Amino acid sequence: MTAVEPQPVGEHRPATGTAVRRKEDTRLLTGRGRYVSDLVLPRMRHVTFVRSPIAHARLSAIDTTAALATEGVHTVFTGEHPAMRAVSLRARSALPGYVETDQPPLARGKVRFAGEAVAAVVADDRYLAEDGAEGVDVDYEPLAPTVCAWAVPTDPVHDEAPDNLLLSRTFRAGDAADALAQADVVVERELTTNRHGGNPIECRAGVARFDGADRRLTFWSGTQVPHLVRTQLAELLELPEGDVRVIAPDVGGGFGVKSVLYPEDVALCLMAIATPDTALKWVEDRVEHLLAATHARDHRYVLRAGFAADGELLAVTADVWCNTGAYSVYPWTAGIEPLMAGGLLTGPYKLSHYEATVRGVATNTSPSGPYRGVARPSTVFAMEALMDSGARALRMDPIALRRRNLILPADIPYKMPSRLVDDSGAYEACLDRAVEVFDVERWRAEQARRREAGERPIGIGVGIYNELTGLGRAASAGPRMPFRTGHDACTVRVNPDGRVTVFSGVTSQGQGLETTMAQVVADALGVAYDDVTVRYGDTDESLWGFGAFSSRQAVIGGGAAQLAGTDVRDKVLALAGALREVDVSDLDLRGGQVYVRGQEKPVIALAEVARVAYLQSDRLPEGFEPGLEGTKFYDPVRGAFAAGVQIAALEFDPVTGGTTILSWVCVEDAGTIVHPVIVDGQIAGAIAQGIGGAMYEHLVYDDVGNLTTGTLLDYLMPTAGEIPELTIDHVSTPAANPTGARGVGEGGTLAPNAVVAGALADALGVEVDDLPVTPARIWALLHGGADR
Amino acid sequence: MRITLTVNGTRHRLDVEPRRTLADALREDLGLTGTHLGCEHGVCGACTVLVDAEPARACLMFAVQADGSTVRTVEGLAAPDGTLDPLQEAFSTCHGLQCGACTPGMLMTATHLLEVEPAPDRERIRAEMAGHICRCTGYMGIVDAVESAARAVRAPS
Repeated sequence: MTAVEPQPVGEHRPATGTAVRRKEDTRLLTGRGRYVSDLVLPRMRHVTFVRSPIAHARLSAIDTTAALATEGVHTVFTGEHPAMRAVSLRARSALPGYVETDQPPLARGKVRFAGEAVAAVVADDRYLAEDGAEGVDVDYEPLAPTVCAWAVPTDPVHDEAPDNLLLSRTFRAGDAADALAQADVVVERELTTNRHGGNPIECRAGVARFDGADRRLTFWSGTQVPHLVRTQLAELLELPEGDVRVIAPDVGGGFGVKSVLYPEDVALCLMAIATPDTALKWVEDRVEHLLAATHARDHRYVLRAGFAADGELLAVTADVWCNTGAYSVYPWTAGIEPLMAGGLLTGPYKLSHYEATVRGVATNTSPSGPYRGVARPSTVFAMEALMDSGARALRMDPIALRRRNLILPADIPYKMPSRLVDDSGAYEACLDRAVEVFDVERWRAEQARRREAGERPIGIGVGIYNELTGLGRAASAGPRMPFRTGHDACTVRVNPDGRVTVFSGVTSQGQGLETTMAQVVADALGVAYDDVTVRYGDTDESLWGFGAFSSRQAVIGGGAAQLAGTDVRDKVLALAGALREVDVSDLDLRGGQVYVRGQEKPVIALAEVARVAYLQSDRLPEGFEPGLEGTKFYDPVRGAFAAGVQIAALEFDPVTGGTTILSWVCVEDAGTIVHPVIVDGQIAGAIAQGIGGAMYEHLVYDDVGNLTTGTLLDYLMPTAGEIPELTIDHVSTPAANPTGARGVGEGGTLAPNAVVAGALADALGVEVDDLPVTPARIWALLHGGADR
Repeated sequence: MRITLTVNGTRHRLDVEPRRTLADALREDLGLTGTHLGCEHGVCGACTVLVDAEPARACLMFAVQADGSTVRTVEGLAAPDGTLDPLQEAFSTCHGLQCGACTPGMLMTATHLLEVEPAPDRERIRAEMAGHICRCTGYMGIVDAVESAARAVRAPS
């Protein structure tokens, strides 16, 4: 039964570095995915939220009589319901001056943005719940709304912050004012970036069920952070954490939007507790998502940069306003965008004199939260705008000016002006490769030819960035919150049949982590990829993981998988050595077979070792416990900076304002690449989202806080018709962590703003200060007048 | 209202409210949750199914409008023994999917495209697939997959 055909030596091929078939694909391609939206439980009821149509108002009365009389409606909850009244989401941070504010699960006392949930209707199906929602009558007493983060409020969003300022911090290094005074050239830019959001194809969804007898809550949620959600729910709902189970099965995209614990999630769980033994399901529609899921990137930058005549960057000053929306996003806080903006603004450039004041300002708009790249698509735009302006002022080639200031391998580890430590140094290598692959000379010649011939102008845009990935405890994501996101756990279990189950703390919203973790464990342990199964996304199965954000999982979850796989390998070899009376140091495990080094025939199969470990305790040597598994945590302590460069050629039509992307090259340092196709897919998808943000996507509020881009007919996401063929290339500097990987989830989003804006200036000589770069904006820049 | 739908070769009799969308009838009444809903206003294309061999947004069509029709969904693409069809296979090989939310609609539109145009070029594929939003892939893998499946169908090995 345990006999396995022995494999010849060398048969085992490492899974790492090869494009193995994704374990997720078969179910996702055949319509057998298991998304929360698909979940059906016996006697399940459906929830619809009633949302405020007004941006800022006192709530005077909510009449639910008509709703409750609607056929199929069971209950209507409001913020004053006893189940809701005492609960608030309060994003905490120990940063000095941070103003803590409360976010109720359903609005209490007042509404702070159009789209905020004020009531929830529970009915037999979603149609009936929506019927009921129409019968909820809410009296609003309007207050003066604030939409713009750099406007003075009349009625503050939160009483605790009369000026709407939730957070402010100044980053300082050297003496920026003095260095600016010494500079040969000073350039100034004033920029705004456009509010947009993640918009995964599967909107938010949750199913909550509370077992009354056991007092246990199960919450199926399309979340990126199931363990964090479990901890937070246990705290908010005052349940023992062991009695809360969070399950994130297949999730239809996340991009940061689903790394937030939302008031709707908490309301759903509170309603489930109030109606025990009845599963409640909420599936958000797109209109709700655009209104009330977190937005991002609504920023303003007032910048100055000083250069020496030879191009050396001497000083940068920045005043930054980040619109944090109506609530300090839970649990990441209103600091998430401003602190990232101030910390990473200077990007891959050496700089000694820096002063940046960043602010998180509350407004009557949907809360801002983490979105792929967090603030850096805006800061890279800002920094590269300074570089492009500097190059024009110095009459230098923009690539040469950048190159003059890059952090080089000899500078590593480099302490940035914000005191973050950059361990990459691969910027110049990426730039060299990008210049070569893109063929800058050819495009410059084409540009000159077109100018000469009077053909449509083209411009070349450049964006260089550092992606801060895999943050360990010393660089942990987020502003001094009550938790540090530096580690993940992984359990590797060899089953009695010799096959392997991995219980990983990672989660996946399309990134293929099921596959990547299996590859890492297969190689660390010494078994075939096909013999490894990965479980993830269920807090009752995996010990711990902070989840998907900050491009952290390949580095941290992968590190834990590598360590756990190695640990179990050691255990297998120890037991094999004892069973076969061979010195452990002579043994090797490959392809599920244990070999004595140098011998062709295996001495024992992993399956037989496993059988002894679980089923044949009579054969267990002295000192060995039954079972064959190991659990390891990994924390990289610092992080893995990942360098990236994007260069593109864009054609502009001065008559229509239209833009055509002719060539787009991206070179990143992903360190050791576990799955090349998945890595390129992450980069390509990130660039596509970056192009969406640079050219199409804009969540626009009118002056009184109505979202005017509330459907996908107004909020434009790029399709196969807009995203060009992308050329993705790599340099590889393995990071100092167990897998050598550097994160790749976010980098691609960071450059497109800078690339598109830079190309426009290069082609037409007009500096674009406000994003997105739409045909209307281009036309207005060339011909004057309003751009929308 | 009583309606009859033939879905992936199986006849179903359903009693639905006139306002029930075809997407909800497929997902909720027939349990065919492979058809996904991304926007429920006809833009994203995730819910695309083939109704009488033509692509249709199942979120914009009432189930009663499909009475008497033949509907094909993503669940009907693979062979009964589970063997993936050439498009599904190519989507996996070319990394034409990540999270899988847009994938069923992409597959159904691509199925229709290859049925009416066995040899589309990349530009044609892009134009045809531009009725769908994918938020993960950047589309290149999808275009590669459709192109590769078209080749595989034309020259079965």
